[in-house]
Amino acid sequence: MDLTALGAAIAAFTGIGAGIGIGVATAKAVDAVARQPEADGKIMKLLLLGCALAEATAIYGFVVSIMILFAK
Amino acid sequence: MDIGGLLKELLLEDKVLIHFDFMNGFFDINKSIVVTWGVIAVLTLVLLWLTSNMKVHNISNKQLVAEFIVDGLRGITGGMLGEEGYMYRDFMAVVLVFIGASNLVGLVGQVPATMDLNVTAGLALMSIVLVEAAGIHHKGFGKWLKSFSQPMAVVTPMNILELAIRPLSLCMRLFGNVIGATVIMELLKMAVPVIVPAAFSVYFDIFDGLIQAYVFVFLTSLYIKEAIE
Repeated sequence: MDLTALGAAIAAFTGIGAGIGIGVATAKAVDAVARQPEADGKIMKLLLLGCALAEATAIYGFVVSIMILFAK
Repeated sequence: MDIGGLLKELLLEDKVLIHFDFMNGFFDINKSIVVTWGVIAVLTLVLLWLTSNMKVHNISNKQLVAEFIVDGLRGITGGMLGEEGYMYRDFMAVVLVFIGASNLVGLVGQVPATMDLNVTAGLALMSIVLVEAAGIHHKGFGKWLKSFSQPMAVVTPMNILELAIRPLSLCMRLFGNVIGATVIMELLKMAVPVIVPAAFSVYFDIFDGLIQAYVFVFLTSLYIKEAIE
């Protein structure tokens, strides 16, 4: 039985972590902007950066699944 | 639709463009290297054009644009590096422009140079060497060695592991983001050939590429700042 596709699918579960991370970051950013609308620009910058860093875990999962499927 | 075939074509294609034979081995030049040569050539031509015929008084619009770009880039990287690491701001600005331009190559129909793991690995290695060299330069060799066991002796293995983890994560983050964006764009082009890919291309080709270049430079600056304090 060939289980490589299953391994790739399991690697795709890293998306859960990235989703939760970006969700929490965005929720806090909305909170912060509601409290201090004048700090909008700074918060936006930090949010983008945090999202890019949180997204990295999902990207690692993607790279791993690609490697499982194609690297021999 | 043959998704598997498309992915295979995209990911497993022969990367070698120019092949040299030596006595016993070989020397290959990958496509990504040639693309980076193109990026370097275009950037150099633009820079030569922007910086030609500069004056102190009565400056032209061209010089104004050049000064605006240099000021902006130095502001971005200088802000990230802080007062102490001010001397590295020009290098980081160059890396920012280079990675940004390499990620935008997808717009003109070429495969982005950063889609090759070798290119991002080289950039990440360059970063970690710069970080450690900055640490040695600012602290001295003895203090740099001692900084591995800071703040506690227990964390020494982690600090040594970080030497390998940091470049690996820098390299994989850039590579994964670019390859992910390219694969998604190719799948989208296959599913809906008109109009829709244009809208998504703005996010995946332009926005994501620039953000990743910024993140790469930001993290390297953060490491430098940490190493020299």
